[in-house]
Amino acid sequence: MKCHNSTKFACVKKGFFDVGRTVFYMKISSSQMFRNFNKWCLGTLTFLFLAGTFNAQAQGEDLFKAKCATCHQVFKDGTGPKLFEVRQKWESGGAIEGSIIQWVNDFDVAVAKDPYAASVAAWSTTSMSKFPDLTEEQIVSIFDWVDTQEEKSAVAAGPGGDANAQEEESSMGWVWMILGIVFVVIILAVGGVRRQLKSATAEASGEDFDEHMSYSEELKQWAWLNKRYVGVGALVVVMGGVVILFLGLYSINVMENYQPSQPIEFPHATHAGINGIDCKYCHNSVDKSRTAGLPTVNVCMNCHKQITGAGDQVAKIQKIYDAAGWDPTGAGKYTNETKEIVWNKVHVLPDHVYFNHSQHVVVGGVDCKQCHGDMATMTETAKVMSVEELNKVEGNIPLTKPTLTMGWCIECHQEKEVSLGTLDTKGDGYYNEIHKRLLNNDKSLYGQYLEDGKVTVKELGGWECAKCHY
Amino acid sequence: MKMRFRIISSIAIAAVSTLLLASCGADPDSPGLEYMPDMYRSAAIEPYVDYGEIQGKQNEDLKMLLSAKVPPFGTVPYYGTDSAAVSLMLPYARLANNSFRSTHGMFDAELSSQGVDTYVLAAADVNPMELTEENMKDVFDAGKSIFNSKCAHCHGEKGDGNGPMVESGAYVGVPDYANLTNLSDGQMFYSIYYGKGMMGAHGSIINKKEIWTVVHYIRKFQDPNYGPGSVQMAAPVEGDDAPADDEANNPE
Repeated sequence: MKCHNSTKFACVKKGFFDVGRTVFYMKISSSQMFRNFNKWCLGTLTFLFLAGTFNAQAQGEDLFKAKCATCHQVFKDGTGPKLFEVRQKWESGGAIEGSIIQWVNDFDVAVAKDPYAASVAAWSTTSMSKFPDLTEEQIVSIFDWVDTQEEKSAVAAGPGGDANAQEEESSMGWVWMILGIVFVVIILAVGGVRRQLKSATAEASGEDFDEHMSYSEELKQWAWLNKRYVGVGALVVVMGGVVILFLGLYSINVMENYQPSQPIEFPHATHAGINGIDCKYCHNSVDKSRTAGLPTVNVCMNCHKQITGAGDQVAKIQKIYDAAGWDPTGAGKYTNETKEIVWNKVHVLPDHVYFNHSQHVVVGGVDCKQCHGDMATMTETAKVMSVEELNKVEGNIPLTKPTLTMGWCIECHQEKEVSLGTLDTKGDGYYNEIHKRLLNNDKSLYGQYLEDGKVTVKELGGWECAKCHY
Repeated sequence: MKMRFRIISSIAIAAVSTLLLASCGADPDSPGLEYMPDMYRSAAIEPYVDYGEIQGKQNEDLKMLLSAKVPPFGTVPYYGTDSAAVSLMLPYARLANNSFRSTHGMFDAELSSQGVDTYVLAAADVNPMELTEENMKDVFDAGKSIFNSKCAHCHGEKGDGNGPMVESGAYVGVPDYANLTNLSDGQMFYSIYYGKGMMGAHGSIINKKEIWTVVHYIRKFQDPNYGPGSVQMAAPVEGDDAPADDEANNPE
């Protein structure tokens, strides 16, 4: 903590908000204590005096947090203007002395008396709440506390390092390609030299060398001479080709690691991780609808009306403002000049598959992580997590088939328990009716289901075709 | 001479084929090959799917211009056949203040044309979801789950205004519910539905039933004994003009 004020008093006063500084001050006074008794006395007196001011400060802080902080910030305009050194601002603006206190008690009174206050009232369309209960001393203590605050430097938290790594990776691809071309050139050059040498030796030994024999004719000649090896080799190549073909066919429709570009490079880690926003806040139709829902821009604005970001975040957040038609200057206002945001769909299911989010999240109680992975640590844009990544997440049912394939779905339906197999574990829940029917109609079947100690989705019909395909 | 030409042509072929192979690299925005594309994009419109290009054909009319849309203002979702539940879902009678056009971006909404602050009038509204001994536990449980997913990142799980957003330093100025004891149920609903100050409108995220449920839950932060017997925080404000305004705000 730096000390800008010239007087020792103000300097030490600031120190009370910083533990390290307080200790430092105490150390000095204790060393002085042995040297000079008078100075020690002075130190004690100062301390006692400061203790009193500290109380007033604490009161100011409490009052600010209770009454003002909802609309006012110290260093940034929000619903209300910033409050740092607001008294000086009023003074230099030509306000009547004491009208700022009246403003806090009842701004209407201040506006009637003071033309400067009237100009302040025009700052925003939202009018300030009235606080008739606050005494002048309390209001002054709030302003005092606000003026002692120091601005924290904005911390830019951007995924700069990752972007560099990605760039490096793509440039590596070019290196390999250039290497490949160089190798092809070398092979051809060596081939040319070989041919020239061969024709030279043939000429020297007086043999007839057909210079016009093409590469393919030469190759045919060589293949005929070594037909046994060529045959086996060809068989291996064909078998390999078939295997690769089938592996290729298996990879069709597998969406693992599909990561389309997005209009805004949205980092889930910042939102769901650092700031602890629940998935269901933005994807808010997940418990009511078939689709989880993408947040509309007004949902973004619920926080970004205040959060303007730092570093490379500013440009990204500006895209939200453009979309919402929000002009962040001053108190900020909506202009009705909106734009569209078109996100790219990441998890694509064929139309012939019915999937319902609310059924899985509300009724089945499946955590988002089971299928979408740990988005709280995902610094890049969203992607279809591979099954290996999903298996790493704690609490997930481990699966083997690729994500978003049918094998993956039914594998989970086979593993996932519906309940612990007793009627009282889920209250009067959705599946209890099924448990009851099983108990009443076919006890042996129920017993069979419970052999492994659990009733799975499969046993309650989760493998029936028409559950998902109709 | 012929030999040289052959070498040059071989190099050219090698280079071209390498480039062709490189350009075959998958388009990052394409989900890849599909076995039966016509079974991926059917005639029935799916959410968040761009129908602008179907099997190579461009269709300008169907091109997606916006992927996430707010429900049209005042639309009532289907809410089953229970009349009590349905009546809860009818449009909110209070209109937002005119200033909400510029402060909360309500361009499409019908706004109050009166000079009276509708937020003040909302104090007269009473929570239509009555707490009884039977439903109390369910209401508070539901309120807790709604609060924790939709409110707690700012307001904190204890309602003290110290959610993870505030603790990370990203957001400031979240009030402690303990300081908002003079806030009536109706005003609380109004603030959640239309927004208040820095807080944006949450009417598009949680429906009216959920808001009234969460109002009950927030009351419990302020008073641990809040329950069926508790008096509703509603006070007729500024004389008798509140009910009169109520009628004016309900166009038939």
